[in-house]
Amino acid sequence: MQRQQSLLILILVLVIAAIAVIATIPIPLGLDLQGGSQLTIQVKPSAEIPQITERELEGVKKVVEGRINGLGVSEPIIQTVGTDKVLVQLPGVNDPEQAERVLGGTAQLEFRTQKPNTETQLLAFQTSRAELKVKQEELRKSNNKAAITKNQEDLKKNNQAIAELFESTNPPLIGKYLKDAYGEPTQGNNWNVAIRFDQKGGELFAQLTKNLAGTGRSIGVFLDNELISAPTVGLEFAATGITGGSAVITGRFTAQQANDLGVQLRGGALPVPVEIAEIRTVGATLGKDSITSSIYAGIGGLVLVLIFMVVYYRLPGVIADIALLIYALLTWATFALLGVTLTLPGIAGFILSIGMAVDANVLIFERTREELQAGKSLYRSVESGFYRAFSSILDGNVTTVIACAALFWLGAGLVKGFALTLALGVAVSMFTAITCSRTFMFLAITIPALKKPEYFSPNLPTSNKAEVSQ
Amino acid sequence: MKLSINKSRSLWWAISSAIILAGIISMVISWQNPDIKAPLRPSLDFVGGTRLQFERDCAKPGNCDRPIDINVVREVAKAQGLGDSSIQIVADKNTGAENGILIRTKTLDRDQRTNLQNALSEKVGTFDEQKNQFDTVGPTLGGELFRSGVIALIVSFAGIIIYLSFRFQLDYAVFAVVALFHDILITVGIFSIFGLVFGTEVDSLFIVALLTITGFSVNDTVVIYDRIRETLKINPNEAIGDIVDDAVNQTLTRSINTTFTTLLTLFAIFLFGGETLKNFALALIIGFIAGAYSSIFIASTLLTLWRERTDKSPPLVNAESIDTSSGN
Repeated sequence: MQRQQSLLILILVLVIAAIAVIATIPIPLGLDLQGGSQLTIQVKPSAEIPQITERELEGVKKVVEGRINGLGVSEPIIQTVGTDKVLVQLPGVNDPEQAERVLGGTAQLEFRTQKPNTETQLLAFQTSRAELKVKQEELRKSNNKAAITKNQEDLKKNNQAIAELFESTNPPLIGKYLKDAYGEPTQGNNWNVAIRFDQKGGELFAQLTKNLAGTGRSIGVFLDNELISAPTVGLEFAATGITGGSAVITGRFTAQQANDLGVQLRGGALPVPVEIAEIRTVGATLGKDSITSSIYAGIGGLVLVLIFMVVYYRLPGVIADIALLIYALLTWATFALLGVTLTLPGIAGFILSIGMAVDANVLIFERTREELQAGKSLYRSVESGFYRAFSSILDGNVTTVIACAALFWLGAGLVKGFALTLALGVAVSMFTAITCSRTFMFLAITIPALKKPEYFSPNLPTSNKAEVSQ
Repeated sequence: MKLSINKSRSLWWAISSAIILAGIISMVISWQNPDIKAPLRPSLDFVGGTRLQFERDCAKPGNCDRPIDINVVREVAKAQGLGDSSIQIVADKNTGAENGILIRTKTLDRDQRTNLQNALSEKVGTFDEQKNQFDTVGPTLGGELFRSGVIALIVSFAGIIIYLSFRFQLDYAVFAVVALFHDILITVGIFSIFGLVFGTEVDSLFIVALLTITGFSVNDTVVIYDRIRETLKINPNEAIGDIVDDAVNQTLTRSINTTFTTLLTLFAIFLFGGETLKNFALALIIGFIAGAYSSIFIASTLLTLWRERTDKSPPLVNAESIDTSSGN
């Protein structure tokens, strides 16, 4: 009896604690429920870095973080997945277009000097590039694939040729020397990108401009190895170069392009090329629709189960229902404590684990009923019901957990959430369906008013009734 | 009422084989089908591509006055070079009004997507940004998802065999896994038929469903095994067929009640739950029914057959000694 009492107190404490946890810690909803976008970025090896290691992946994650933060999305989640992917979750973003744009390029910025005596060549290449670009736009509308590819090839060759007319400074003046970058409007509809160098960058830039001042050769501003602007430096800077550590990139940008480039430059360059491998979006209302209807359906089903248990199993059914409600509370609190993010499959896993919890009680009560019908006393029947059903429950639950473990380690994303909630649910149900219902059962059979075998099973042999009613 | 499952076991096997065979035939047909080219109709998750869903904003006056003409949508898609896309008009779940468009195409990049969306809203009406949904999955990612799912299935099978042969015996474990294959095959087969008849697609949640079926199916089988083991300990000399029959009958109410309560919740989700969970619930319903069936009629009868064949020293005990042993 002493043991029963301390167990009762333990259960009570757990329930109160669970309610407190549920009231204070909200369970975060997954993107599929609250709406938002999810982008999977595939990191690709390059000629310089043929093997993606953890270092590169972490580097990419850092840069991605920097760029996403520049977008001002609230509570983004950025994590690495596997050996070569970065997952970006943007809650509340219905159209990930801007994120896609900003995450796409590596954004390797470099200032180079034009090689001597290449002025005419550069001019020729730039003219033909402008022509190719116009042609590209036209082709895009016509949908002629072969021509588009051919034109793209030509553009690439042209870019290559232009890049060869420039040489890097020593050390190369690249994006890492930047302190800030932002888009700013100029006259008309054009935007510029203003940049500010750190001290070392400022020195390099002064050196670079000093060398080029008055020569007619250009500074080559390259982004991802493509020339985006080629300004010349006036003679007046020949003595000191352009000092002060700031510069403006003019490139006939639109407001959007200028701002995006600013974000990319501020976030830094990606160490390796990336590609957006997957985009998933769920509209906010769509997510809400599916969460409400799924939860209603789950609760509806659960209520039916509760009613069935009472109708079929009588008093033990009532006890099982109480244990089930405790189960739901404890599991929900466990999710909150462990920081489980609730997704749609996660809810499914939770509802299914309720099924497992019910099964444990069904096993026990069937066994109790059998023993009662075999003529055993109430106390003995309840005891052996729990004792005998235990190995079935254990074996059944362990096999489910094995399947969950396989899912959790090998599966991805949604699959993981499902496995986690199901496994946690099964673990909690081992406690509620066995310990809780057992404690309540033994409590019930000490209360004389409840100590009637017909409350436990219909159609009992008469001898059995006589024995207990003494 | 007592069920003598071992007496009519060829009937149970015939029923299962018929359903499985139908499923396999359907998978072969699907494979030959140029639209599907796989045993089941794979969704975007596995083959890659872009899926767009738009819904018109009916809060705007006059926006939803005319019904959406699917041919107009097709023409717009064709003009964008996406003539071979699959296009559907979908009804709103609450109002039943057909204001949604669902398009599945090859992978679209940002510009192509925006172009399509703009062209469509010009012809059809303004869309509600809050209800837009689009997914793009690269083909390599889909393949990875499928592989990891299959590996998870195989690993869990192996884990279950090891655990059960440790808790019971190897032959119990093997037949439990045979029953498992039975349930998986039936579920996959029926979904293949659904794919042919209704165009039902399988997504990554389907793999989750298969794994859940795995767990539950073994659970059902284990309960009966547990009873067989218990009875065998008490009456080691009784004929295996009778022991299995008894064990199945003693656990029958439990099997029915558990399956019934689980199906209650699943049917609730299937009928009233979110769109995304419908097929998931359906797969589980089929799998759980198959699982209950296979543990009662397949795993136990196979175990009986195997034990009858392999037990070289059949229990040649007379009726008297059985009486005395059970009298205790």
